[in-house]
Amino acid sequence: MKFYGYERPDGSVGIRNILLVMAAADCSEPVARMIAEGIDGAFAVTQHYGCIPGQMIANTLIGVGENPNVAAVLLVEMGCEGMPAHALGKMIKRSGKPVEWISIQELGGTHNAVIKGKQILKEMSEKVFGLKRKEFDVSKLVVGVKCGGSDTSSGLAGNPAVGVLSDMLVDAGGAVIMMEPIEAVGAEEPLAARALNEEVKKKIYKMIGDEEKRWSVPGAQMEFMCKGNVEGGLTTIEEKSLGAIHKSGNRTIVDVLENTDRRLEKVPKGGGVYLQDGTHMEPMAMSFMAAAGAQMVIFVTGCGGTFGHAIVPFIKVTGNPETYLRMPYDMDINAGTIITGEESVDSVGRRIFEEVIKVASGKATLGETLGYDNFSVFRTDPRLEALLNLNK
Amino acid sequence: MKRALMMNTKDNVATALEDFDKRTLVSVILPSQEVLKEVTTKQAVPFGHKLATIGIKRGDKVIKYGEVIGNASQDIEHGDYVHVHNVKSNRMQMPEIWYREEE
Repeated sequence: MKFYGYERPDGSVGIRNILLVMAAADCSEPVARMIAEGIDGAFAVTQHYGCIPGQMIANTLIGVGENPNVAAVLLVEMGCEGMPAHALGKMIKRSGKPVEWISIQELGGTHNAVIKGKQILKEMSEKVFGLKRKEFDVSKLVVGVKCGGSDTSSGLAGNPAVGVLSDMLVDAGGAVIMMEPIEAVGAEEPLAARALNEEVKKKIYKMIGDEEKRWSVPGAQMEFMCKGNVEGGLTTIEEKSLGAIHKSGNRTIVDVLENTDRRLEKVPKGGGVYLQDGTHMEPMAMSFMAAAGAQMVIFVTGCGGTFGHAIVPFIKVTGNPETYLRMPYDMDINAGTIITGEESVDSVGRRIFEEVIKVASGKATLGETLGYDNFSVFRTDPRLEALLNLNK
Repeated sequence: MKRALMMNTKDNVATALEDFDKRTLVSVILPSQEVLKEVTTKQAVPFGHKLATIGIKRGDKVIKYGEVIGNASQDIEHGDYVHVHNVKSNRMQMPEIWYREEE
C-alpha cells in the first residue's frame, strides 16, 4: 500500500507542507502571529509556560519543529528568554530543513521584526512550495491514536474499529503511538501481556503507576474523568481504560517512549505499537505525539469534539450514532454503524485505513477544512516529580 | 427486541444499545451478534449505560471486557441499572463534585 508525501532531508516523510512560525515563549507570540498572517501554509505556535519553561517543553518544541509535516521553521524570540530561539533552532536544524531565527529586541521592535520575519518566510515559502508529493510505502507512516470526550460507545465501537486500523497499519510495517498514561489505569494486564519483553513490561507498569500516583495525591481532589464520561455511561477509570486501550489494536507493544526532562524519545525507524508517556489531555498529547514523529492522529470520541492541531491533521471517529447525526460536519468517520448493527468492527476499521491513506496523500480532514489549528504543550511539574520520587 | 451488548462471555454486565424503560425485555448479544440470553430491566437504563446480566453480591467483581472494572458497593440484582451508585473503582475514586456552580 502506498501514499503520496513530501520527502524531508532526514529521510522522513511529511503529509503536509507547513511553514512553522514558532515563538519561543508567549511574550513573542503576537509578533509570530503577525508574521504568519496572510502567508499560505504558515502557522504560528508557542508555549504558555513562560520564558524559562524547562527542558520538557524545549524537547517538545524541538520535536515539533523536526516533525516531517513541517517544511521549514522560523523561530521568534523576544531576546531575553531563558530558552532562546537560537538554542531551539540549532537543534531543529539537525533535521536538515530550512530553519532561521530572529530576535525582536535585536531587530528594534515589533515593526522591524514583522518585516524581517515576513521576508524570511516568503523566501522559505518559495523553496518549500516547489516540493512535489512522491509515492512512499505505508511503512513510512507514524499514526497517533487518542480518544477524548469518551462515552461507552468509544469502548464498544470507536476504539475497537481504530484497533483494527492499528493492526492493519502495523502489519503493513507502519507505527502506531498511543498516549494514555492515566487511561491505562486498570488495563495494565492486557497491555503488559502484549509487551515485547520483560523490560517493556516493566516500563508499562512504571508509566501507568507513576501517573496514578500523580493523580491520587492524598488531600488533592483531582478530576481525572469528565462529566461527559459519567453521563455517557462510564462508571470507573478501569472501565474507561479497558475501553481506551482497544484503539492500539492487538499487536506487540515494542516499547514505551520516554518523555521526561531528560529526553523525549521518538519513534525509531521500524513499525509496531509504541506507548508514549505524557498526558491524556488531548491537544497537549497531540503535540507530544507530533514531537515523537507522528504525521497524523486518529481521534476517537463519544460525546463529540471540535478542535484540531496545527501540525498533525486528525481524523475524528465517533462510535456514537447520535453524535454522528448531531455533528456530521465535524466527524470524519461514523463508527456508530457498529452500535446500530449495520456494520462490523472490521469493516469500519478498513474504512478508517482507507481514509488514513487519503489524508496522508493530501485529502483535508473536516477539522482542517474548518481551519482548526490548536497548539498547546504540557510538562510535568518538577516539584511534584521530586516529591513523589518519580524522577528516577 | 431491544439489544444490550456484552463484550466478553465472562462479563456480568451488558451495555444498552438504545434507551431502555423500566421492565423492558432486552436481548443480550455478543460482539458476534449472537444472542446470549434475555434480561428484563428493573429500572430505566439510558443508551450506553450498563445493566447486570446476573446478580452481583456487594463486594463482588463487576466484569466488562472480561476484566474487572470495579466492585459492587451494594447488592445488584440481574436487570438492575449498574453505574456509579452501585459500583466503586478499586483504583481511583472520582471526586464528588466535578464543577461547582454558583448557587
